[in-house]
Amino acid sequence: MDKDIMFILFNILILLFMPFLVIGIIKKTKAFWAGRKGVCLLQPLFDTIRLFKKDRTISNTTSWIFNFAPIVVFATTLFAGLFVPMVQCHSIINVVGAFVIFSYILGLGKFFALISAMDTGSSFEGMGASREASFTTIVEPAFFIILASLTALSGNYTFVSLADVIKSNGTFGVLIVIMAVISLFIMLLTECSRVPVDDPTTHLELTMIHEVMILDNSGIDLALLTWASGIKMVILMALIANLIIPLGLSTMASIGLFLLALILFSVLIGTLESAIARLRMSHVFEFVFVMSSFALVVASLAAVKMYGI
Amino acid sequence: MENFFIGIIALFLGGLVSLFIKKQDYKIKFVSFMTFIASCFCIFDAIKVFISGKLSEIFSIGVMFQNIVISMDYLSAFFVAVISVMSLLSVIYANGYLKDYIKKGKNITAHCLFLPMLIASMLLVVTIQNALAFLIVWEIMSLSSFFLVIFEHEKKDVIKAGIKYLVYMHVSVVFIIVTFALFSIQTSSFNFAQFMDAFSVNSALANVAFVLAFIGFGIKAGFFPFHNWLPDAHPAAPSHVSAMMSGIMIKTGIYGILRVLTFISHPEAQIGYFVLIISVISALYGVLYAISQHDIKRLLAYHSIENIGIIGIGIGVGMLGLTYNCPVVAILGFAGGILHILNHSIFKELLFLAAGSVYTKTHTRDIEILGGLIKTMPKTAVLFLIASIAICGLPPFNGFISEFLIYFGMLKGLMVDNIAVFIVLILSIAGLALVGTMAILCFTKAFSIVFLGEPRSKKAMDVKEDTTISFIFPMSLLAVFTLLIGLFPQFVFDFMLKPVSIFVDGCLFEQNQIISLMQVVSLTAFALIVLIFALFGFKYFFKNKNEKYVTWGCGYNKPTSRMQYSASSYASPFITMLTPLFKKVVDIKKPKTIFPHDAHFEMHMEDVEEAYFLKPLLKSVEAFFAKFEKIQNGNIQQYITYGLVFLALALICVVILG
Repeated sequence: MDKDIMFILFNILILLFMPFLVIGIIKKTKAFWAGRKGVCLLQPLFDTIRLFKKDRTISNTTSWIFNFAPIVVFATTLFAGLFVPMVQCHSIINVVGAFVIFSYILGLGKFFALISAMDTGSSFEGMGASREASFTTIVEPAFFIILASLTALSGNYTFVSLADVIKSNGTFGVLIVIMAVISLFIMLLTECSRVPVDDPTTHLELTMIHEVMILDNSGIDLALLTWASGIKMVILMALIANLIIPLGLSTMASIGLFLLALILFSVLIGTLESAIARLRMSHVFEFVFVMSSFALVVASLAAVKMYGI
Repeated sequence: MENFFIGIIALFLGGLVSLFIKKQDYKIKFVSFMTFIASCFCIFDAIKVFISGKLSEIFSIGVMFQNIVISMDYLSAFFVAVISVMSLLSVIYANGYLKDYIKKGKNITAHCLFLPMLIASMLLVVTIQNALAFLIVWEIMSLSSFFLVIFEHEKKDVIKAGIKYLVYMHVSVVFIIVTFALFSIQTSSFNFAQFMDAFSVNSALANVAFVLAFIGFGIKAGFFPFHNWLPDAHPAAPSHVSAMMSGIMIKTGIYGILRVLTFISHPEAQIGYFVLIISVISALYGVLYAISQHDIKRLLAYHSIENIGIIGIGIGVGMLGLTYNCPVVAILGFAGGILHILNHSIFKELLFLAAGSVYTKTHTRDIEILGGLIKTMPKTAVLFLIASIAICGLPPFNGFISEFLIYFGMLKGLMVDNIAVFIVLILSIAGLALVGTMAILCFTKAFSIVFLGEPRSKKAMDVKEDTTISFIFPMSLLAVFTLLIGLFPQFVFDFMLKPVSIFVDGCLFEQNQIISLMQVVSLTAFALIVLIFALFGFKYFFKNKNEKYVTWGCGYNKPTSRMQYSASSYASPFITMLTPLFKKVVDIKKPKTIFPHDAHFEMHMEDVEEAYFLKPLLKSVEAFFAKFEKIQNGNIQQYITYGLVFLALALICVVILG
């Protein structure tokens, strides 16, 4: 029982505070490649704390939706995180069909993020919202294909059992997991608005997707929204980490490996952002479609594995 | 069963007596009162069925009909309950909605006659167990709804939409007649009870019968490619009628399909795939076109096609579960599908009623010229928002529960150990996920363009919300229903198991497992709500100051409402991605001179199926029949010759054939 409480606490701590570290590492990596010294690793945390203390500027056009939405976005993201195991085999809510509940809860957050952007009546935010909504329509089916294939392979319907795929399927499992990881990584880049889909550092509205949607938010609202997008990044990283960390290690080892994986992903994202440029908006769709094709490959490999043609 | 008949008689009486009431607004009041009585009686019987099992009553009218059995099993009782509650709420709403029309001097006599007639015929459709009598009440239903659709018959496009609807319904009835004829030839009976297992030896014929029934009832339900009447008829009808038609009447089509399915107790794999694939396509097609619409009621009509598709996916999954002897899959599929019937009737009715409230105040259905209504119509906005979230299938509302059941059924179906099932189901899962995200795109668009931002035209300014009880009460009740089903899915699922038991029985262990899963879902929904409100409190703990200012426009401080994103621009990135699936009709006049003054741009999407299939088909049929014009030339002498020739031919036939 004590151990369970420990795990719950650990999961929540990771969910709440790892985002700052992850974003800090990404920034540090980018600074390293640019030859700069870069800000302190915990700077994102300090930024958020500062935002919490600040007053807000609210547009005259907005209604209660604008006020309410950041809370829903934060709450749903955090809540969705409870379904994903942060240490091997331990998620706070472990139910069958978890990935469906997980994505629909995130969907609720997205719904409010979109209408909150539209609430300002700004054409920039409208543009961001419409792009975000369009990309989601490509990402989500691919995510469902991957997760459905993996659950079919593991024979169980929980997130926790996904770790089982490599172990119980041998070489095929490795192949499937590689494909799934690539695909989920593209999802990570798209959903968390990183290069090459989106550039979180530029403030040129015409090129942005996610960043432009929160253009009018300030103070505590902005803090909640950036925190939520950080949490989302950690959640998706944790999903990928769960697929590749082998089962059956000791608790300490798997926690260590998990943290290491998160750090590695952050470094990888930072390096990617330093190495390649943002894609042109019309090519972003093509890039996101790559995820769908990988997802279909995962599904067909799973079918071959299960029915052995 | 007596209560049910009292209800039916009350409805017919309400319609007939209202003819003799002089004052227009008393007519609709009287009809609502009678509907209220009828609903109470009918629900009473439906509950009785759910507690104690089947009720039935036998009438013998004549030799031709044989004995007419009117009975309520769990499936009928479910439909009776849904129809009574939902139509009562629509009729209550009609009191407020028709007020403006009455003030303008519109005569609502016919409307008040056909409104209870439609409800009564729907109730009879789902209870009559005799093929001939079924066809008669089916026809009464179609005709009375036709007269309700053409309420504003002085408008040309309303009549056009009405005629289109009428034609579609009569094509539908042809298929239904053929289906029943097949069954009754086989069994030499008109009673549904005898239809059971009519084709247990001849499965090919069973498939044919089912496909015919699916087409016939599918036209009513609005499956692709038989959906075309929906997006025309719903905008033409008054809001409470579209709510009733979309909320419950099209579900009688689903009832028909389910009823025919009970005759074929063990469906073959092919028809399962057929239903599943058609349903996935319908769902995708419906939501795709919904995204491209600017007319709020047209948009909602296309969403009905989507939701009918989702219901169909549930039924298809259930059928595959039956075929491959996997009762869990069957239970989940049917339960999800049948629950979605209830859910859709709740949130779609709410959406249509809320859209109607907006229409009575702004007198336009074009969302491109609305905006900012959340400030002037706050209650309607909240209700529309709740229904939008529910229709997207997002927790903690009811749409999520049925979609989750269907998803879970499909996931369980992946283990059926058949590669064809695996491939079809995995693509259906992706399809359902795509439908969900597209619905989010569509409803964030609809809600934010209508209610958020600044008013885009004069029509949307200075609107005053009508908060009379006939508007607010039905809508609030529907909103409460959506939330209750979302919060207590375990009880709802338990309740759904009864209609499902008609198709598949047993496996108590798995049923209990699903119920406990539903308990977890219920807990998560509660936890989510608690978390959101706790955070809301947390936010106010900080007590930061707010400053009001104009929306950030890159330093430009005089934004006008025309600079906002419009509905078409919001949908544009998505639509451009799928250009080949649309037929764009663009009306553009570019500015030319140095000081441009008149320029405009208008774009709308035409239904591909109508543009590339239906219209050419009708054209060729028309061209074919035009060839016979020569025969009908108005010359009486020639007509007499035709008669003579015909008689001569008949005589020759008689002589030759003996």
